[in-house]
Amino acid sequence: MSVLPYAVAAWLFGIGLYGIATSRNFIHLVGCLGVCQSATYVLLLGLGYRWGSIAPIFYDHPPGTPAVDPVMQALVLTDIVVGATLTALLLVLTVQAYKRGGSLDPEKLRPMRAGDKPGQSRGSSQVSDGGRQAS
Amino acid sequence: MSPRIRVALLALSGLILLPCAASVIAGLPAFGSKIALYGERINAITPEARHVANMVSAINFDLRGLDTLGEEFMLLAAITGTVVLLRGHRGEGITGRAMRRPGRAVIPRSEATVLACRIAGPLTCLFGLYVVLHATVTPGGGFQGGVILASGTLLIYLGEGYSGWRDAIHSHWLDALEGGGALLFALCGLVPMLTGAAFMQNILPLGTLRDLFSGGLMLVENLGVAMAVTGGFTQLFLEFMEETREAEEPDEPGEESA
Repeated sequence: MSVLPYAVAAWLFGIGLYGIATSRNFIHLVGCLGVCQSATYVLLLGLGYRWGSIAPIFYDHPPGTPAVDPVMQALVLTDIVVGATLTALLLVLTVQAYKRGGSLDPEKLRPMRAGDKPGQSRGSSQVSDGGRQAS
Repeated sequence: MSPRIRVALLALSGLILLPCAASVIAGLPAFGSKIALYGERINAITPEARHVANMVSAINFDLRGLDTLGEEFMLLAAITGTVVLLRGHRGEGITGRAMRRPGRAVIPRSEATVLACRIAGPLTCLFGLYVVLHATVTPGGGFQGGVILASGTLLIYLGEGYSGWRDAIHSHWLDALEGGGALLFALCGLVPMLTGAAFMQNILPLGTLRDLFSGGLMLVENLGVAMAVTGGFTQLFLEFMEETREAEEPDEPGEESA
C-alpha cells in the first residue's frame, strides 16, 4: 500500500511511453506526452505527502501545524504551467507538419528540403506557402 | 524502423528498466510517512520570516524566486515560439471576421448561451482577480489566477462570437501584458540591487500575516506573473483561433454572427 502512488506514477509513465512509441498521429502523441507528464505530478505530490498533515497554507491553522511539503507543490505548479505552454508549442508544430506534409502520421514525416513542394496538403495551406518557396 | 521493431525495443528496455524502477521505488520512504527536511524547515520558518500564509507562493516568489524567473522566461519563450511559428506562416494580416467552412452550417447562438456567458464571464474574471490578489494569503497566485483570467476571455468568444471577441481582445495589448509581466518580474530582481541589497531580496515592508498586503516584494512579482500568464495564454487562444480562418479568400461571405 505504501508504494501504490509511486507504482501509479511508474505505470502512467509506462503507458504514456508506449503510446508515444506506437503513435500514428501527432495529436495523439502530444496527448501521450501529457500522460507521461502527469506521472511526474503523481510522483512529486506522493513524495511530498504525509498522513495527518494540512495543506501548507497557514490561514485557518496557526503556523507550526504539521503540513505537507510545499516544495513539491510549487514544483508541480511550475510543471503544469510549463507543460501547458509546451503542449501549445507542440500542437503548433503539428499544424505546421500537417501543412507541409499533408499528414499527421509520424511515420510519413520526411526531412524538409529547400524547394520541396508541400505534399498532399489540402485547403488553405497551399495558398499561403508562397513565401517559403520564394526563399 | 518498423512499428513492430519499435514496440519490441520498447518492451526490451522496459524489461531492463523494470527491476531498476522497482528497486528505486522500494528505496523511497513509505508513502505518507515523512516529508523532506527542506520542506519541513520552510513550513517552520517562513510564516515568521516573510509574514505570508501561503507557503507555495513564498517558495515561488521569494525563497526560490530565481527559479520562477527562469520559468517565467521559459513561458515567454514557448509562447513567442508559438506565435512566431503561426504568424510566420500566416502573415500579420488580421481581419475581425470569422470564416466559415463551406458545407458546414452556422448555427446561431441561442440567447441562453449569450446570457450565461455574459453572467459567467465577469464572474470568472472577478474570481481570477481574487485568486491573483490573495496569492500570499489563501491558495492561489499569479499562475492559477492568470489562467482563470485568460479562460474568462474565452467566454467572450462563446457569448459574443468571433468578431465580438476580436473587438474585445487586441493582440498588441496581449504582447504588452506578457512582456511587461516578465519585465516586471525581472525588475523585481534588479531594483533591490540598486539599493545595495542582493538580487531579489525582499526590501519592501512585509506587512502582517494573513493580511492581503503581506509579503512585500512577493506581491509585485505575483502581479508580474499574473500579467504574463494572462497575456500569454490569451495570446495562445487568439493565435490558434486565427489559424481557423482563411484570410486568403476575403470574398467568402462567412461572417459568423447570429
